[in-house]
Amino acid sequence: MGHNSTFPTFLQNLILPLRQKTVKLLVIEDEAGLRESIEGYFAEDGNICETAFDFSSAMHKVSLYRYDCIILDITLPDGSGLDILRHLKEQEHNEGILIVSAKNSLDDRLTGLDLGADDYLTKPFHLSELKARVAAIVRRKSFDGNRRLRHHEIDIDLASKEVKVEGVNIKLTPKEYSLLLYLIANKGKVISKNAIAEHLWGDSIDLADNFDFLYSHIKNLRKKMVEAGGKDYIQAAYGMGYKFAD
Amino acid sequence: MKLLDRYNRSTILLTVTVMLFAAVVYYFAIKLVLSRQIDKSLEVEEREVLDFVRINGKLPQVFNANHQATAFALTQVPITRRMIDTTYMDVKDNEFEPARAIYTSVMVGPQRYQVTVVQSMVETQDLIKVIFLITLGLIVVLLTALFIFNRIILANIWKPFYIILNQLRSFTLSNGGPIRPINSSIDEFSEMNEAVITMAARAQKDYQALKAFTENAAHELMTPISVVNSKLDSFVQTGAFTNEQSLLLSDMYNSVAKLTRLNRSMLLLAKIENRLITDKQTINLDTLISDTLNQYDDVISGLNIEVKTNLDPKKLDASLLLMEVLISNLIGNAIRHNTEGGRISIELNQHHARFANSGKEKTPLEVQNLFGRFKKSASSDGTGLGLTISKEICDHYGFQLSYQYVNDLHEFVMTFPPAG
Repeated sequence: MGHNSTFPTFLQNLILPLRQKTVKLLVIEDEAGLRESIEGYFAEDGNICETAFDFSSAMHKVSLYRYDCIILDITLPDGSGLDILRHLKEQEHNEGILIVSAKNSLDDRLTGLDLGADDYLTKPFHLSELKARVAAIVRRKSFDGNRRLRHHEIDIDLASKEVKVEGVNIKLTPKEYSLLLYLIANKGKVISKNAIAEHLWGDSIDLADNFDFLYSHIKNLRKKMVEAGGKDYIQAAYGMGYKFAD
Repeated sequence: MKLLDRYNRSTILLTVTVMLFAAVVYYFAIKLVLSRQIDKSLEVEEREVLDFVRINGKLPQVFNANHQATAFALTQVPITRRMIDTTYMDVKDNEFEPARAIYTSVMVGPQRYQVTVVQSMVETQDLIKVIFLITLGLIVVLLTALFIFNRIILANIWKPFYIILNQLRSFTLSNGGPIRPINSSIDEFSEMNEAVITMAARAQKDYQALKAFTENAAHELMTPISVVNSKLDSFVQTGAFTNEQSLLLSDMYNSVAKLTRLNRSMLLLAKIENRLITDKQTINLDTLISDTLNQYDDVISGLNIEVKTNLDPKKLDASLLLMEVLISNLIGNAIRHNTEGGRISIELNQHHARFANSGKEKTPLEVQNLFGRFKKSASSDGTGLGLTISKEICDHYGFQLSYQYVNDLHEFVMTFPPAG
């Protein structure tokens, strides 16, 4: 995304660990059930997660405070989320913005992205997918030139898509790479197989047995990381999903 | 049978019957009148002969003229006066002609003479013939006139009917305009037109309402589904589960996933049918196909499916979303219904795209139900809307989507409309 940080690179590197730890989020969502789930899912990691349930309270919050990322529902009871987006862009605020909408309408998607939203997610979505998308946006926003993602001994160069474990380059297939990023973004969480499968293959193909393929990707990824001398982070969770240990 | 033909047939049959009957009646009437006239002239001749004999006491001089001949013959037996049909030998023409004759007797003194007066009927016959021919000619002329007249008049009169019919034929609930009113001075057609317009408008209105309902329902369902989905995601974080519990959770996840897919498909279908997806961009179909194949390459290689592609560059102006859905549906189908170690062959050129795959089904699929809603094979875990959506997308862009079973391969062929 076309955002240029005003910070010099060495300063960025200094604040990088800090920024990675706490992310300040605003969830603008009128559906209480969904809002609470999102809040709960994000807050567990020590992120600061604020919420707004309608247009006016959302406008109030975005005019007063700054966030790393705003999760924005387009259809609000007293206004359009797109207007909040317009307002933010007019004020030249640099929040990462992820639009969530029940309308899988291309027009909304295009309008949203044209207005400067960073991503668009259609309801219903898995919280793990939301988290991965938010993480990607926050990463993009916070360190532009130096796009590296670290998780203990795992070092990922996001630009060249190179993964090093204990300094050893490991070769991952595109699906394994995408899987690894997804797992790291949701570290410490149980992610259902459905969520991972949907992330890897999209929802247009509904293969009954794609869990087998998911299993083989997980197996290969584990093997490659362990062989390179890394810890075995990926755990099977109760037979219904996986968990990436923190 | 066309109404015009039916009408023509009836009128012509009726006309011919009436005319033939009239001709027969006419023939006999004329014949009767004419033969009576001949009989009268025979009687006149007879009286002249009798008068001559009574006044002069001798037979008159015989002379033949005007197809009439008089003859006398001595006879012993009394003769009853009678008239008969006979023939007449025309001396000039030297041929027999039909004739009428009167036999009577006259007494000249003591001698009895038989008097025969023969009158040729050739003129009468000629007259009848001429009359008959004229009648026949009249029938033919009348029939031809009727036929042409009917054709022209009826075709003109029925024009509004055909205009309405053609409109009805091309009428579709989903994307047609209203039925246009016609200009007809004929009450029946005006009334029919009115009724058709009302009916079509009502059907369209009902259909729109139904579609709006489907879209709204699908849309409204998305919120509770997404709440359930997110609550499930939150719930699985809450702690250790027993095997039984995690099995239950897996089932719930799968069902919610299926519900989501189903609902998304219904929304998409409603959107396509409502023509709500209008964006257009140039799409490289060949790249789209190979990208989609790449997305599933792990699944394809996992199932040991041999993929053969023959893709010519092909550009299309269409919605990227719809094209992605279409290609992904067709390729997804080819993978989902395939067998381990099976085959997929994809061919793309300027005219068509062909997706062929081997499958569990070794017989042709039933074409009639193939593109219907919620029609799916028993083994399929899909939503049953994939092919319906594909068909709708193809219809939307004027592509033809057809299915055939060739060389043990299920083939879906998408034919593009001719360029221009």
